[in-house]
Amino acid sequence: MAFQIVLNVFIAFIWVLLQNSFTFGDFVIGYVIGFGVLYLLQKILPFEFYFRRLKAVFALLWLFTKELFIANIDMVKIVLSPSFKHKPGIIAVPTNLTKKWEISLISCLISLTPGTLVMDYSLDSKYIYIHNIDIESRKAMIEDIQNKFEKAILEVRK
Amino acid sequence: MFTIVVDIALIAMAVSLVLCTYRVIAGPTVPDRIVALDAFGLNMVGFVGLLMISLDTAAFSEVILMIAILAFLGSVALAKYWERGLVIDRNPD
Amino acid sequence: MIEILISILIIIGIFFSLLGSIGLVRLPDIYARIHAATKSATLGIAFLVFATFLHFWIVEAEFIGKILLAILFVFLTAPVGAQIMSRSAHRTGVPLWNKSTHDDLKESYDKKKAE
Repeated sequence: MAFQIVLNVFIAFIWVLLQNSFTFGDFVIGYVIGFGVLYLLQKILPFEFYFRRLKAVFALLWLFTKELFIANIDMVKIVLSPSFKHKPGIIAVPTNLTKKWEISLISCLISLTPGTLVMDYSLDSKYIYIHNIDIESRKAMIEDIQNKFEKAILEVRK
Repeated sequence: MFTIVVDIALIAMAVSLVLCTYRVIAGPTVPDRIVALDAFGLNMVGFVGLLMISLDTAAFSEVILMIAILAFLGSVALAKYWERGLVIDRNPD
Repeated sequence: MIEILISILIIIGIFFSLLGSIGLVRLPDIYARIHAATKSATLGIAFLVFATFLHFWIVEAEFIGKILLAILFVFLTAPVGAQIMSRSAHRTGVPLWNKSTHDDLKESYDKKKAE
């Protein structure tokens, strides 16, 4: 995968040299062209194309943006309601992810999504301790985390 | 029209900064104050961005980046110090 | 035309920034305040700074990459900062709000101490 990105950047660089003036926009166009070339040649090249993985990354980013907006609409309801009636609490959530970068990525995602805030990890990093602003919905939240975020991250790793 | 919107936005951001300052002064515990200072730094970023539009100058773009970095580093260092009495330690948890 | 779009972005931005600050003042305990301060303020600042970027790019024809870098940086650091601040608050014994019902983290600390 790293080799393919190097190849792609190389094609973009050649494209830039073919132009008379160098701009950032030319580089982006060259990168897109290199991407297209790699896409057309993926049958011939001896390694797997990184497009599938890139698609998974974009799916993760899209999920994250959507959840961020939902989170903020929730915050509007919580902050502007006349009285604060929710029951906050801290819950331990089990996680199936093992690598360190995956756990830090999922905690960043959780922290910016509705009503949840990562506080700590257990020593063997099997549990994430999450502060939830409304403990009534804890079951839905645990399911959300395991089904949505873990699935999306595992898709990137595959 | 556009300048009026920017001016109103500047006033609103000033109000938001005042609210953060209230929490810095009133916060019952020290971590409350740390959180309020962090939010203050974030709001400063937006304030300087609006100021750039209002004054029509691109000279403050470094200021935005620096305030964002310093607010993050400052709040992390304060939180670490309050937790353990030192900022840099080798013990991972 | 483009000024209307930038105005809308600015208004959304200040709405979320103000929301974060109001939450910081109104909510009952520090953990709920961190919720308000990180989520709303981060999104609000992203909108405001992006409006600045668009203004300089389209109206003044000046592409300032540093501003986009600032948005990226704010998004990367906000959850990390929130986690460290909430952890330090919990470890130094700042109490949860008195209507909070559940505290698994405290139980795990107690278990570790007992061992």
